[in-house]
Amino acid sequence: MLNVDFNKLADLINKNVQDAGAVVNVPEDTKCDSSITVSASRIYAVVEFLKTNSEMPFNSLHVMSGVDYVEWMEVCYMMTHFDVQNPREFILKIKITERVSPTVDSIVNLYAAADFQEREIYDMFGIKFNNHPDLRRILCPDDWQGFPLRKDYVAQKEYNGMKVFPDSKMNFDDREFIVRQNMIKKAQKQAAN
Amino acid sequence: MQDGVVLTTLDDFLNWGRKNSLWPMTFGLACCAIEMMATGAAKYDLERFGCGAFMATPRRSDLMIVAGTVTLKMASRLKVLYEQMAEPKYVISMGSCSNKGGPYWQHGYHVLKGVDEIVPVDVYVPGCPPRPEALIEGVMTLQKKIANERLLRNKWVKHA
Repeated sequence: MLNVDFNKLADLINKNVQDAGAVVNVPEDTKCDSSITVSASRIYAVVEFLKTNSEMPFNSLHVMSGVDYVEWMEVCYMMTHFDVQNPREFILKIKITERVSPTVDSIVNLYAAADFQEREIYDMFGIKFNNHPDLRRILCPDDWQGFPLRKDYVAQKEYNGMKVFPDSKMNFDDREFIVRQNMIKKAQKQAAN
Repeated sequence: MQDGVVLTTLDDFLNWGRKNSLWPMTFGLACCAIEMMATGAAKYDLERFGCGAFMATPRRSDLMIVAGTVTLKMASRLKVLYEQMAEPKYVISMGSCSNKGGPYWQHGYHVLKGVDEIVPVDVYVPGCPPRPEALIEGVMTLQKKIANERLLRNKWVKHA
């Protein structure tokens, strides 16, 4: 990533934020990006520090995204500093192991850009954000069941009287369909353990 | 013509008027709507076939071109729009998505598998998205269908 010394930044976070637990993730493939993982309970303090510190500030939250690895879920914050002389960016990650009602602190107070992003992560992964001003689904209908981007997600049979997968129009022998169903079953088994 | 006599049935006369002044609804859902706009614009000019007056309200239109992916969230709104249109009303299902779910057919949890699940469809236009010529062919097919209707005899209420 751009202009960021990861070890220095991780040390900076650990020094200034209590219990931050910042760890640098170095990928095996050198083409991939490094990132920093911090403890999920301290995310608000870490982002606040990143925004307000004078040594290595980040004035913008670029993107937020969620990932489901079945054993854990991740929320990624792409932090950016827009500056002509010294631009920089890096990925900040938190790990969440709870699956039934995962909760993290919202950072809307710090970056207003997080508003819709957090709503989308809630919509797709069911991760709740504390202190979010308006946490409801953004893409799916309000009364939708389940969280579609989780690996063990199975779509509901019916919505508002409309069949989601009408038997007469489906091809249940389709190879890709069977592969997908097996992946869902595997993820469900894994999540149950 | 000035001193001549023209003989026709009332049905044919009414159908001739109706088929040459189809008013579609301004209603696009996804990328097919871009093709629909191109069809209505200068190059393909749907107005040549008496079908270019896109109405901004369902109450004044008698043709709904379902152009694009019908998500389950949109489906209930689409049904309300269809019910607001005055009889007799027609539906053209444009593109693979509204025909049968398109690329979301097997795995898409959020897409209605064909708009014919909720409203009766008169003409299906295949393609992803269909070219403007294909939509024009769909409209002309619908016009042929309208020309053969017996409105006075049994079509006052289409779906009674």
